[in-house]
Amino acid sequence: MSLVDLMTMATPNFGSREKILAKLCGRELVNCFQCIKCTSGCTALKLLELKPHEIMKLVNLGFVDELVSSDIIWTCATCLKCVQRCPQKASPYHVIVALRNLAVEREAKVPGRYLKAVSQILETGLAEACRKIVTRKMETVDRECLGLPKVSKPKENFQTIFMKAMEERP
Amino acid sequence: MTKIGVYICRCGLNIAGTVDVKKVTEYAKTLPNVAVARHYTYMCSEPGQSMIQDDVKAHMVDRVVIATCSPRMHEETFRKAVAETGLNPYLLEIVNLREHVSWAHTHEPERATEKAKDLVRMGVARARLLEPLEKRKVKVEKSVLVVGGGIAGIQSSLDLANAGFKVHLVEKSPSIGGRMAQLDKTFPTLDCSACILTPKMVDVAKHPNITLLTNAEVVDVKGFVGNYEVSILQEPRYVDAKKCVGCELCTKVCPVRIPDKFNENLTQKHAIYIYSAHAVPKIATIDPTRCLRLKIKKDVCGKCQEACEAKAIAFDQQPQTIQIKVGGVVVAVGSEVFDASRMAEFGYGRFKNVISNIEFERISDASGPTNGKIVSPTTGKAPKSIVFIQCVGSRDKRFHEYCCRVGCMVTLKQAILAREKILEDARIYVCYIDLRSFGKGYDEFYSRARDMDIDFVAGIPSEIHCSQNGSLYFDVYDKGINKLMEMHADLVVLGTGLVPNSDLERISSLFHASRSADGFMLEAHPKLRPLESAAAGVFLAGACQGPKDIPDTVAQASGAAAKVIDLLSNGEIELEPLKAAVNKDLCSGCRICESICPFKAIEMKPDTGKDNENFRAEVIEAVCQGCGLCSSACPTSAIEIQQFSNPQVLTQVQAAFERAKPKGGK
Repeated sequence: MSLVDLMTMATPNFGSREKILAKLCGRELVNCFQCIKCTSGCTALKLLELKPHEIMKLVNLGFVDELVSSDIIWTCATCLKCVQRCPQKASPYHVIVALRNLAVEREAKVPGRYLKAVSQILETGLAEACRKIVTRKMETVDRECLGLPKVSKPKENFQTIFMKAMEERP
Repeated sequence: MTKIGVYICRCGLNIAGTVDVKKVTEYAKTLPNVAVARHYTYMCSEPGQSMIQDDVKAHMVDRVVIATCSPRMHEETFRKAVAETGLNPYLLEIVNLREHVSWAHTHEPERATEKAKDLVRMGVARARLLEPLEKRKVKVEKSVLVVGGGIAGIQSSLDLANAGFKVHLVEKSPSIGGRMAQLDKTFPTLDCSACILTPKMVDVAKHPNITLLTNAEVVDVKGFVGNYEVSILQEPRYVDAKKCVGCELCTKVCPVRIPDKFNENLTQKHAIYIYSAHAVPKIATIDPTRCLRLKIKKDVCGKCQEACEAKAIAFDQQPQTIQIKVGGVVVAVGSEVFDASRMAEFGYGRFKNVISNIEFERISDASGPTNGKIVSPTTGKAPKSIVFIQCVGSRDKRFHEYCCRVGCMVTLKQAILAREKILEDARIYVCYIDLRSFGKGYDEFYSRARDMDIDFVAGIPSEIHCSQNGSLYFDVYDKGINKLMEMHADLVVLGTGLVPNSDLERISSLFHASRSADGFMLEAHPKLRPLESAAAGVFLAGACQGPKDIPDTVAQASGAAAKVIDLLSNGEIELEPLKAAVNKDLCSGCRICESICPFKAIEMKPDTGKDNENFRAEVIEAVCQGCGLCSSACPTSAIEIQQFSNPQVLTQVQAAFERAKPKGGK
């Protein structure tokens, strides 16, 4: 092997890299020259240590498997700043989504909150459930006491269509 | 009977590595009319050429087919070799086995060999019908038009004028000097830009061989290489150039104030102004769109007229069209600086303390708006921390993909100037992607900057924020130390790159010179003909061909001047005979060719030999570029390109399909 990560003794897996490139429909979105603009502005960096430029470099070098099984790819807040500002029209966001998809295919550990969001959508059609909240005046309120109408439930066939769409995804 | 010699070049392994050259040679021997077929390692080498010459001299061969690299590479070489034997050089046919076969089909050697055979057969078929042609000589004008009065135009003009040629230098603004006149110091030696440029500007104005036309633009170009007829429109200055002494009494009394373009609109000037402190010619100019008298067209104001002791103000001046004849043209119109307000994240145009590098030049220049003091625009005081951000608008696929080639060195220079001019406790940072210091003495200059306590951050910020007091702050991640840092700055200088001049579209169509994908002028060959445009007799100098620093610009300008001298010094030039020719008996006078010709090379002339007054097409040979549009459009096949006549091309097409088996069509 021509390249070895001496910290972990990992070697590149070009098969995995090809899978990512196929999901991105080519190399263009990983065509990064490491200007670090994405990481300088990354919303998830300060709290969660996500470094988009590192992900780009690792994918380009072929260290994809480590990324797929890591937790870091799930920290992206999908703010899309990196997509907007990248001078090379590369897109760390799309690369991260491709990595997540590969992780799901490999049945790697998906963080619980994502699965929860999916079942939430199945049940209510909403990504977030309606909850009681505490205002600045320390009052606890919900929709009812604010006089807001009830959130309507999704139509009957929504669940079947949703499940079908999930199964159809490659 | 025609005796054709076929010579196949192995080109080292470039061709022979893929194509079975021996098989192709044996195949060539079986073709009709082929007297000799040989192959050799390098046909373009001296022994290769003499192999062909010996065969011709021994009367074994009277037409030559050479299967080698692209004709763009060596057709001229082989024509010369053939001509030396006394054979007409146009009885030569080049077959491209390298770019069209071996390089294109590296992985399919067998099929490549078959394709090579096909191409050789086509070449031999065409060679049978080739006809001898003669080059024609035309006289040339020994004068030159230089478009653009920046350092490139100045250098080209001086070189040409010193060589004895008459030069017409046309500059759009009221003074020559261009971008270089706006700069403070120049890298890597920190010479003062004005000190090295101004003497050259004065030389231009004083040189007996140079006619300087400022405030003027080229509006029309007719003719052809060696004999161009150029129309130049000179806008009025409304000041008599012969009387004005440049005393600036008028500018002091003018009540109208307008932004000063020379100072990048950082200061104001008056509606009557002298372009800059070093302007050449140092003559006042009135902006007719802002002057009260010229705008309202009544007897108002006129204060400058009262103040002028030399009686030089002339409100009744009119635009002038000047016609000149020149033999060659040097296009040296330069470039513009990227407008950083297009890049919203850095806040240029919104935040006062974010400036571009050309604005920094003016601020740093002793004759600029602050008399050379480096200040932060909101406070007017020396900034405590300055940050330079690199690659703004260049190396960016959203704007310009190319590297601006000067930004890194400009920033190093400006950082050093800032360090020299403001207090030592100021912090100076450069945020960069890659630092490119490739020229002579440039990397030493980079090292000098590091010695002067200028810090380099390997990372570009994503966005710049402005606090209420006008100071700037932003996050930047350094890839060397793997840390996210917050930076605060009183002044941010954006490393804006060079972009194509907005006039280039007009200028390229005026001179029929094409542009490359990046918008700059296109050279005839990126390596071997970098100073020529695609149009014969039109040469390129300076940043109009691509972003360039001053040393490269001056080198290219001198080179372009040398190319013009090479073209015109004999007083006459040879024209390629591969031009359109009209068979008058077939011409119906329909004028389609006249309407379609992009070079206006076709004239309709009355046919005097007949009773009725029929018009027939006639080709102005010197103007025709041999593009072939007329030939393909002519309904009666009356107009044809010599060496590419219908029979010559169609025979080649027939030969292409000789071996093909008919498919389908039951």
